[in-house]
Amino acid sequence: MPLRFDIKNTFTLVLVLAVIVLFPLLLSSLWVKVVTSALIFSLAALGVSVVFAQLGLINLSQIALVGVGGWVLLRLNYATELPFTVMLVLGGIVTASIGALLALPALRMRGLYLALVTLMAAGAFQILFNAFQFPNGGEGFWGVAQQSAGVVRRPAFAQSDANYLRYVISAVAICITVVGLHRYAAPGRAWAMTRQSEANAMAAGVNVTFYKLWAFALSGCVAGIAGGLLAGALQQLDARSFLAGDSILLFALAIVGGVYHWLGAIIAGLLFKLLPALLNDFGLSADIAMVIFGAALLHAIMTAPQGIAGQLIGAISSIGKKGSATDD
Amino acid sequence: MKNLTKLLSVSALLAATYITTPAYAEDAPVCGMNSGQAATGDPIKVGGINGNAPPGDFSGGTDAAAAYFACVNANGGINGRPIEYIVENDQWNPELAGQVGTKLVKDEGVVALVGNGSVVSMAVNAKLYKDEGVMAMASACAISDCYENSNIVSTNQGPLPSGIGALKYAVEELGTEHAACIGFNIPNNGGWACDWMNKYMESKGKKGTSILMDPTAVDLNSVYLQALAEGVDTILLMLPSGPAIGLLKVAEEQGGRDQFKWVSPTPIYEPGVEKVIGDYWDGHLYVNIELAQFDSKGADNKNWVAVMNKYGKEGDRRDTFSQSGFISAKFFTDALLKLDAASIDRASVTKAIKGIVGAKSDLLCGAYYVGEADRHMPNHAGRMMVYKNGGFETVRDCYDIDTAYLDPIRAQEKALGITK
Repeated sequence: MPLRFDIKNTFTLVLVLAVIVLFPLLLSSLWVKVVTSALIFSLAALGVSVVFAQLGLINLSQIALVGVGGWVLLRLNYATELPFTVMLVLGGIVTASIGALLALPALRMRGLYLALVTLMAAGAFQILFNAFQFPNGGEGFWGVAQQSAGVVRRPAFAQSDANYLRYVISAVAICITVVGLHRYAAPGRAWAMTRQSEANAMAAGVNVTFYKLWAFALSGCVAGIAGGLLAGALQQLDARSFLAGDSILLFALAIVGGVYHWLGAIIAGLLFKLLPALLNDFGLSADIAMVIFGAALLHAIMTAPQGIAGQLIGAISSIGKKGSATDD
Repeated sequence: MKNLTKLLSVSALLAATYITTPAYAEDAPVCGMNSGQAATGDPIKVGGINGNAPPGDFSGGTDAAAAYFACVNANGGINGRPIEYIVENDQWNPELAGQVGTKLVKDEGVVALVGNGSVVSMAVNAKLYKDEGVMAMASACAISDCYENSNIVSTNQGPLPSGIGALKYAVEELGTEHAACIGFNIPNNGGWACDWMNKYMESKGKKGTSILMDPTAVDLNSVYLQALAEGVDTILLMLPSGPAIGLLKVAEEQGGRDQFKWVSPTPIYEPGVEKVIGDYWDGHLYVNIELAQFDSKGADNKNWVAVMNKYGKEGDRRDTFSQSGFISAKFFTDALLKLDAASIDRASVTKAIKGIVGAKSDLLCGAYYVGEADRHMPNHAGRMMVYKNGGFETVRDCYDIDTAYLDPIRAQEKALGITK
């Protein structure tokens, strides 16, 4: 389906631009940082959605892939003079390759077994991150020295936290658009057919292997970009930010947010980072968020398979329909 | 699981001991202007960040600073203005550390940070402090970033001087030839400190070996076995108290006390720890301490006890970090009392803190100073204790360490007239 500038798309574009310009003005410095972090992890959740919603496969290595993207950006930052955006894209490409590599077991596995294999891969990355740490300006391949971290270059116009948030919003909007376009193009159709029946898809001439690899690569790419954005936001990375267990939490929140609409990924990111920060700011333990997440997941599984995003969109469209009926 | 059980039981016993630790003195606290009149003016906002989550509780510094500031506020404040002390917990989470640092410095507009104790916050927020021109008078630091930045000065020594201090004693008095530095593989923590341990050992013609473990997957049995395999004769416990005691328990179970000489930097020196360690280690565990003994009769130490008794909260930690937070808050208060209360802002406070030179306390072996410099480490001389008769006894009083790491620090001290 070609991209058309109809009223709906134009409205969305104007809305995104308005958010980019105005949203950071409304937030204090603390919440600029929190929302930046939440949006970055929305990208990671978007990657989860690509694989789960399109192919029905469970990938529990998404947080590890965020770490890989961050590692690549930091390494490039200290080894080259490349602009931030170029490093970000390169980080996405390298992570896409690793994501595709993780897809190799997916060619033969489904369900619980695939989930376990990807979780083990996340555990392996956690150990690697701990053992070798993240580059901080040191010499050699690993780029680690016993010193304070150097400066991570940001785009010239995004030196302040508020402008960096604008940059992150733009990056998220672009990634959502790219992923959305996939759903309407050949990969989306191939994924839909594969999800229904791999045998039928193959019989119809779909290169199942190639499109599965593509889905994992796309998922890895957005995770890698998220990692690069996180490195730019924090100016350094720490292995404790990429625990294997967090991938399970992110997957659960992607389900709660809704995997069938881009809005679900945004909600997942907000739940993942904004809710604990809110609780912390209220002087409550951020661990309470885990209780809320558990209840939300139960609710999603039992009553809202489309997630919060599905419920919101359903509510909005029913209001629209009522409005139309009243007009008639 | 067995390790986790050990760590939990040690932590529970230590926590219970904090609450029941008797007061060492009953003198009335002396704070700030000591007027006995509560301050009622416009509050001066001061921040503090601690890290309180597994694998360590570093809240002692902010606990004591909060108690001291409460005492100051009850005694005239800063020339009539009370200190509003805002404490945040970064939970050992780098993202959260950045968020709470930004909140305090940018949103709350604190004039300085005092009593900070965190392994991650200093690394994440060092640039923020410098960019915003705010000073952090930390009290519970354990990473290189605390000691290698212009806007952070910590009252505690951290693992490097305290660890080298312990090794110096081990080499000179216990005959150490090959030491294993066991620490966490945390950026600029275990690796940084253990690298300098090894350099120190090399400088003495001895050998040092680093054994670093993943803080998210602590396996004390394998670490102990690795030390055995390395053939070391001394183990340096470069760990928070919980894991350090856990490792002692592993050695005890395996009858390993006499296989090694056991030395440690400060963390294992905590009130109540003597009840946890047990007789097995009597006369075999040596600890370098960064500040004075808890039962020291020095005026500042007695005042620390008095302030904590009257203004501390139930469950507040009373460890070395607490002593450190107390004395940081005292030095900070003394510096602010020299300012015109009406004109106190971040710039004047930063200037006042950097102007601290040659402050004395019986809690410290040497003079405390800040000055204009790209790094700060005013406290690098300590004392050596041995675990004996169910308590700790001093085996060597204040002594300094010899390491090339301190070369720029010694140059500063000479320039400031602290030393000749």
